Amino acid sequence: MSTSAQTPAPSGPATRREWLAILARTPRACMKDALDAALDGASPPEFDWLRAPDIGLAMVRGRVGGSGDAFNLGEVTVTRATLRLRAGEGHSAIPAVGMAVHMGRDKERATLAALADALLQTPAFEARMQEHLLAPLAARIAENRAQKQARAAGTKVEFFTMVRGD
Amino acid sequence: MLPDKLSNNLRGPDVTSIDLATLTPGFNDTVHDSQGVFRALLDALSRPGKIVSIDAVLPSLEQDGGTAAAHVPMAAFAALLALADYSTPVLLQHEHRGLSDALRFHTGAPLTNDHAQAVFAYLHDAQSLPPLDAFSLGDPETPESAAMLFIRVDSLNEGPQMTWRGPGIRDSQAVRIAGVAPSFWHERALLASQFPCGIDCYFVHGGSVIGLPRTTRVEVA
Repeated sequence: MSTSAQTPAPSGPATRREWLAILARTPRACMKDALDAALDGASPPEFDWLRAPDIGLAMVRGRVGGSGDAFNLGEVTVTRATLRLRAGEGHSAIPAVGMAVHMGRDKERATLAALADALLQTPAFEARMQEHLLAPLAARIAENRAQKQARAAGTKVEFFTMVRGD
Repeated sequence: MLPDKLSNNLRGPDVTSIDLATLTPGFNDTVHDSQGVFRALLDALSRPGKIVSIDAVLPSLEQDGGTAAAHVPMAAFAALLALADYSTPVLLQHEHRGLSDALRFHTGAPLTNDHAQAVFAYLHDAQSLPPLDAFSLGDPETPESAAMLFIRVDSLNEGPQMTWRGPGIRDSQAVRIAGVAPSFWHERALLASQFPCGIDCYFVHGGSVIGLPRTTRVEVA
């Protein structure tokens, strides 16, 4: 999960691949606050479940280094959800379908993320969502990453090697 | 319950993508609805000839499922949703985009055109059924691996008079099913000698089913 797409550069609107990566890294409380802010007090649009949130297991595979054979590292819980906005929402002819596949067992979080995904594909909501939902969440991830890097950089040790004179 | 990846491998690369914009929703409450449908199907198979209503178990599915899976009886749709999974290839007699998309999305079941491979088959046209012995009859050691057929019929209480006898029926059961090709009953009778191998069928009309297990003896008047 942490090896996939990098946090996007702040310039330009995020693509679907990028916003799904952002949503997958966002905890529930942050996502809820950001979604409320983006909807600006309006009630979220009506939707139908194509697949109500359900929890399952997925096998995570790993490699040792770049050249090792793939091995099964272990299982993680995964929550997935798929919803479809009701026709007429956002005045788009094709109803937007939002989905979320997240690590963990938080159905509420998967619901929020799937809803955000659907709204990001709906023209009437897209600009607001990009500005008020994705931008702060991407900034939060970038800030966390910068802090972590700064902490790690503080422990950096420079090694000096004496040249042995013969 | 995340078998999508596995079933993708089974289906092969030439499968079209699922059209999510028109996809028929599945059960509202997957666990309890599929348990209810399973119980109704079990009841139908253990009392051959009895008309069992799946409507009663799932009053809401008819309105929701009536759109994209149009022309497919609600009972057949619900039964396949409840029974199929990634390990049970499903055969559809005719191409049906709404039904095949819904089955692939909700159950992860692979679709097949190979009669011998199919575990469940939905046969839309009871007048031109494929030969019964093309389906898997199971092995004497694993008779449960036989195919199960869902046959859409025109009516479950009209049509030629039949008398059914066998396990699950006290003396005899009068059954009328309209629109099944006469050759079906003949082919089915020929399979009786291969017991415990054989084929179990459901006749489906609207929200109701009649079960016909391989043990039932059918007399057509």
